Amino acid sequence: MSETVLHQHKWIDVVKYRWVWFGLSLLLIVPGIVAMAYNVVNSPNHSPVKVGIDFTGGTITQYSVNKDVSNSEIEKLRTKLVNQGVENPVIQVLKTNNTISKAENLNASTIISVKTAFKSNDIKAEQKIGDVVKSDYPSAELVQVSSIGPSLGKELFVNSLYALGLAFLGIVVYLSFRFQVDYAVIALISLVHDALFVLGFFAILGIFYNVHIDALFITAVLTVIGFSNHDTIVVFDRIRENSRFLAKKATFPEIVNASVNQTLARSINTSLTTLITLAALYLFGGETTKEFVLAMIVGIAIGTYSSIFFASTLLDWWRERQESKKGARA
Amino acid sequence: MKNKKLMFWMIIALVIVAVVIIIKKPTKLGLDLVGGSRIVLEAQTTDTIAKITPDMMSSLQFAIENRVNALGVAETVVQQTGEKRLLVEIPAISDPAKAKEFLGETAELEFKKPLDGKYGATGWAPTGLTGKDVKKALISTNPGGQWVVSLEFNDKGTKKFGELTSKMVGQSMAIFFNGEMQSAPTIQEPILGGHAQISGGDSGFAYEEAKKMVDLLNAGALPVPAKIIEESLVGPTLGADSIAKSKTAGIVGIGLVMIFMLLYYRLPGFIADIALIIYSLLVFAVFKVVPVTLTLAGIAGFILSIGMAVDANILIFERTKEELKAGRTLFTAINAGFDRAFTSIFDSNMTTIITCVILYFLGTSIIKGFALTLIIGVLISMFTAITVTKNFMHLLFGAGQLKHPGWFGIKQSEIGKAYEATETKKEKAKFGILD
Repeated sequence: MSETVLHQHKWIDVVKYRWVWFGLSLLLIVPGIVAMAYNVVNSPNHSPVKVGIDFTGGTITQYSVNKDVSNSEIEKLRTKLVNQGVENPVIQVLKTNNTISKAENLNASTIISVKTAFKSNDIKAEQKIGDVVKSDYPSAELVQVSSIGPSLGKELFVNSLYALGLAFLGIVVYLSFRFQVDYAVIALISLVHDALFVLGFFAILGIFYNVHIDALFITAVLTVIGFSNHDTIVVFDRIRENSRFLAKKATFPEIVNASVNQTLARSINTSLTTLITLAALYLFGGETTKEFVLAMIVGIAIGTYSSIFFASTLLDWWRERQESKKGARA
Repeated sequence: MKNKKLMFWMIIALVIVAVVIIIKKPTKLGLDLVGGSRIVLEAQTTDTIAKITPDMMSSLQFAIENRVNALGVAETVVQQTGEKRLLVEIPAISDPAKAKEFLGETAELEFKKPLDGKYGATGWAPTGLTGKDVKKALISTNPGGQWVVSLEFNDKGTKKFGELTSKMVGQSMAIFFNGEMQSAPTIQEPILGGHAQISGGDSGFAYEEAKKMVDLLNAGALPVPAKIIEESLVGPTLGADSIAKSKTAGIVGIGLVMIFMLLYYRLPGFIADIALIIYSLLVFAVFKVVPVTLTLAGIAGFILSIGMAVDANILIFERTKEELKAGRTLFTAINAGFDRAFTSIFDSNMTTIITCVILYFLGTSIIKGFALTLIIGVLISMFTAITVTKNFMHLLFGAGQLKHPGWFGIKQSEIGKAYEATETKKEKAKFGILD
């Protein structure tokens, strides 16, 4: 077969295998949806993804210590805290990759994190926690306190949902304006596809590793949406351009195939460079942004997949249905 | 060509300005990087205060500023956010619990008289004399060696206090601070000099306690009660650690991306790398000029924008390669690469900006920081990845034929193979024929 603008031998025929991609997408998304449903039923606040104090309100106090902390020690600490009148403390031990306090040569390897309910203007709880931790671990150093009131948490949550909704709307309006409405709707569907996957992924992490999402997570999802949309637009832009010049020569599926393949190197390379920077952030960056970065890594990977295989084939499938409807009417 | 040279020197000048700014101006680092305490206070409505007015907020801000200043820490921030909230930032604080205790207290001082006429076993009634009538508070000791708080009334207070004590000889007068009775001395004789003393009852005050009361009284009571609704505190070691880690992540991230671009796109990749360095310099200069307070999330936004900045170059180079393969001359291939890639770059960056603007307006301060750095990054990347790269490529390659396809990472055999269709398109289009 000759090499033409519409066909080169090394190209992948994305349109031909569209049911494979649709199936794969289902396979990727369904476990997350199951996990979210499981969380809705089982978690105390019926949230599909486990939410942290940013949204529920609460206080987390973290101390770094320079030795390992065993489970029995955690239990002991808990009892002591309860005896001191700290209500329902949830203690977690986090491992750090030891660079914390390197400057001070403390080599603190472990962080003790105590979660309690939010107490406005009550400094005593904080001091009690400090006193108890320091009595067991004299070297303990206060690393971080974050405290959010429950009403503020609720407000943050509602604002985050607004932000998500507005972002979706903004993108659809912009795309309808620059492209056509069906391009915009399909771009939106593939964004929902990506957002669902990331949410599902964290729902699963929540079940197995007790990962809670925070306000930064919403930022990550929004960034992923922006980025994935980036990819989808590049492919759609090429389809638009090719349609303009090749509409009489080629069928729509051929145009879609050509467009996807022409932009393939770009899609993969861009995601690769972004994933490289994110991996650097994940491996070497600050502890506090780790989950945020993970959410973006997962999101950008799925966003690349969806723009290459899902959005383009969905567009083709949609156009095919429209055509056959028209044909049926005529 | 003349324009291109002019552009080149303008770019160089811009880079020099950016470097000077980076060296001269200090970076504003957020509290999560330097360590410190960030507290959000919310004014509370009460039975008597139904609505929080802007006036109340400004006097609340004034009172809180006084208190924060009394802590003696440099570079504190007290700023109104929203209709009834104050944001307080205290960097590098040694005793965060004290600061917190200090901010939330209403510091309401009240003098009360007994209902039963003698000691107040049945309760206390207000006298109308409050902390507002106090001109100055001082810490001192009484003859018994206990710490006491000495009060000096203003003119109105002196008069009120004189009248009250004249009427109440032989009775107790109770002094309440924040609704808690401090002491209830019996009045021996009228006090007309405008001075009073608060002792801490039988046990006396601890020094800290007395000092705090003096500071609070001097700073003034809060016009409305305020509650802490959010607090985040970062220890200085975590901040230092975050800075070190972000630096490593940034350098490794940029380094790897540069190596990738060089290996995959060869000479254009090298130009993109230079554009990326220029990009980083310009972004940092803008951060310092605005100024953007750099936080951990903000740095993450910047590092992410590196990935996005090279995206434009990848789009352009891929397109240029296609055009070269179609057999175009270098000059037209480069131009076509830029022109054709532009709509994709523009549309995709616009949607990123849309999401960032939404984040900026709806997000909390952490999210705002992320959105702001990403917006600045995307805007500057449009300039560096398009204008700067294009200029460098034209200057470097000139207008001739592509003599060394390897520079672009393509083989001689690939050239002219594809795109007969696009080749003929323009000539045909002239006659109104569309392929």
